[in-house]
Amino acid sequence: MKRALFVLVLVLSIALVGCAGSAKSDTIKVGWFGALTGDQAVWGENEFNTVKMLFEEYNNAGGIEVGGKKYKLEAIGYDNKGDAQEAVNVVKRLTGQDKVVAILGPNASGNAIPIAPVLEQAKVPDIATVATNPKVTVLDGKVKPYNFRVCFIDPYQGAVAAGYAYDRLNDSKAAILYDVSDDYSQGLREFFKANFEKKGGTIVADESFNGGDVDFRPQLSKIKAANPDIIFMPYFFKEVALSANQARELGIKTTLMGGDGWPSDQLISMGGKSVEGSYFVNHLDYADPAVQDYKARYKAKYGKETELNGYLVHDAVLLLVAGLQKAGKVNGEALAKALEGIQVQGITGMINISPETHNPEGKDAAIIKIVDGQYVFQEKYAAK
Amino acid sequence: MTQFFQQVINGLSIGSVYALMAVGYSLVYSIMNFSNFAHGGVIMLGAYFGFFSLTLLHLPFLAAFLLASIGTTILAIVVERIAYKPLRERKAPFLYFIISAMGASILLENIVIATIGPTFRTYPEVFARTPISIGPLAIGRLDLLMFVISAVCLTALILFIEKTKMGKAIQAAAYNIKACALMGINTDKVILIVFGLGGFLAGVAGVFFGMKYTVYPQIGNITTKSFIAAVFGGLGSLPGAVLGSVILGILETFVAGYLSSQYRDLIAFVILIGVLIIRPSGIMGKNTEDKA
Repeated sequence: MKRALFVLVLVLSIALVGCAGSAKSDTIKVGWFGALTGDQAVWGENEFNTVKMLFEEYNNAGGIEVGGKKYKLEAIGYDNKGDAQEAVNVVKRLTGQDKVVAILGPNASGNAIPIAPVLEQAKVPDIATVATNPKVTVLDGKVKPYNFRVCFIDPYQGAVAAGYAYDRLNDSKAAILYDVSDDYSQGLREFFKANFEKKGGTIVADESFNGGDVDFRPQLSKIKAANPDIIFMPYFFKEVALSANQARELGIKTTLMGGDGWPSDQLISMGGKSVEGSYFVNHLDYADPAVQDYKARYKAKYGKETELNGYLVHDAVLLLVAGLQKAGKVNGEALAKALEGIQVQGITGMINISPETHNPEGKDAAIIKIVDGQYVFQEKYAAK
Repeated sequence: MTQFFQQVINGLSIGSVYALMAVGYSLVYSIMNFSNFAHGGVIMLGAYFGFFSLTLLHLPFLAAFLLASIGTTILAIVVERIAYKPLRERKAPFLYFIISAMGASILLENIVIATIGPTFRTYPEVFARTPISIGPLAIGRLDLLMFVISAVCLTALILFIEKTKMGKAIQAAAYNIKACALMGINTDKVILIVFGLGGFLAGVAGVFFGMKYTVYPQIGNITTKSFIAAVFGGLGSLPGAVLGSVILGILETFVAGYLSSQYRDLIAFVILIGVLIIRPSGIMGKNTEDKA
């Protein structure tokens, strides 16, 4: 009897909540998912906190106007534990049960890639944050209709580095050393080469090594003989430090350049003087004036510093709001259409969503220089 | 032409790392007739010993260097006592020794991962990175020192084996260990000395490897190359191990420098296999059936 009563109450309450939901139609439900437990919990928590903070700010200001009507924003967040299978489950729940109009996150490419079929079935767009793998939005040359992102993709960094080296550092002869067994490194090298040559520069040496190698002297000697103005090293900090040290040991004084595989405390401790004066490409710089306002608001509200993810989810929210306003109605399909070709000035740079790739094409990257063992922000730079 | 000489210098630099490691393999092989794969683990620990002597104990370089080598000498003897002596006493087939050696190698690697951790570490800068320049050629200070110390160690080792009584015993044991025992030579002691010598060289190799590159638990893997160099030079022959290592180092450098590093291992090893087909005992190996 007690149980029957309990079930009755439960059914009634669900019905009531359902009614309340439909009656309160001036709320836009937005899903978020990411890791709130496990290794990546720091980033997930940071993202969800940022989403909640921004939504609260919009709501306190009276909400957002879509199609001439004011709406409040509501964030519904789930933990996928950084697991790909769980990512599919929570997206099913967000689209099927919670009926969200859009989803923000996740940060990991491995979690963003498998959710595409669910999004397409439910016609709900997703805006990924730091998922940089090209396959998140484009698979086999075809763009995924409901997947978007606010970060630039891995190979783009190569193009940025090439442009910066040629236009800003006035280097016309570049050498490349890359890891032939790594997709990330190959992608960066390919785009660096194409862009550098397009601008009129010459690649005087294009050398490779295999993952796990510790000696790069043969390749570096060849690079030295080619006498380049700059050496592009698109791989991770351990090999960067080793190859930089060996380059200096061979008497190579050329400036070195790399991508977002560089920044690490280890790079400075291992590379020391060898990487001094080098440049690398990153998503943003924490000292950039454009991010200071958000950074301070986050710290005031949560009492701790925001991570890289927070900056990008901040721009994902801006993109979402702009998309809804452009669509003029609260509908996932209309939102996905509106996001194509949209242009939004984010704190991490100008976000210009390409209809062909759903990536922020030509987005500004931060150029960082290593000065006295510190990462010093130089400027924002986009490949054109 | 400059590039050619620079690549020869690079090849010698890589080859001398292989040589220090290869001699340890060859020494043990000459007496025990099996490949002591635990040698890689001992080299790895030598690199860690040197690293901690410099960073935690703040010893001067030479003291750290000696401490690391003494540490690995003891370690190599301990490995022999635990992993091989019981097998020797039971006259186990050589295959069992190889399995025991692999086990010891995996054990050492995992002990380091569990206790010190899997992340790599960097030696403090003992020598400046600025090279010594001879015209357009650059020779690393560390490479030069390494070349000198390797040469001193290897010459001392060869003199020890050629000139001392114990060295004569080692030579005799290498020729026929059973006959040696019958002649009243304490073969157990000979084996101990051989492992100790191999361990000392492993310490030297480990410290240099760590200084030249970095320290991590998988350093042992690089010794595969030096083992191959030892086979190529002729397992059991010390000058052969050195020669094989230098040839392998130069071969690798030339393939990577003039063709592409993608073909480096492929071409280098095809040449090695070719040599072994023509001379199965290696360049300087003794041509006896039981040492093949």
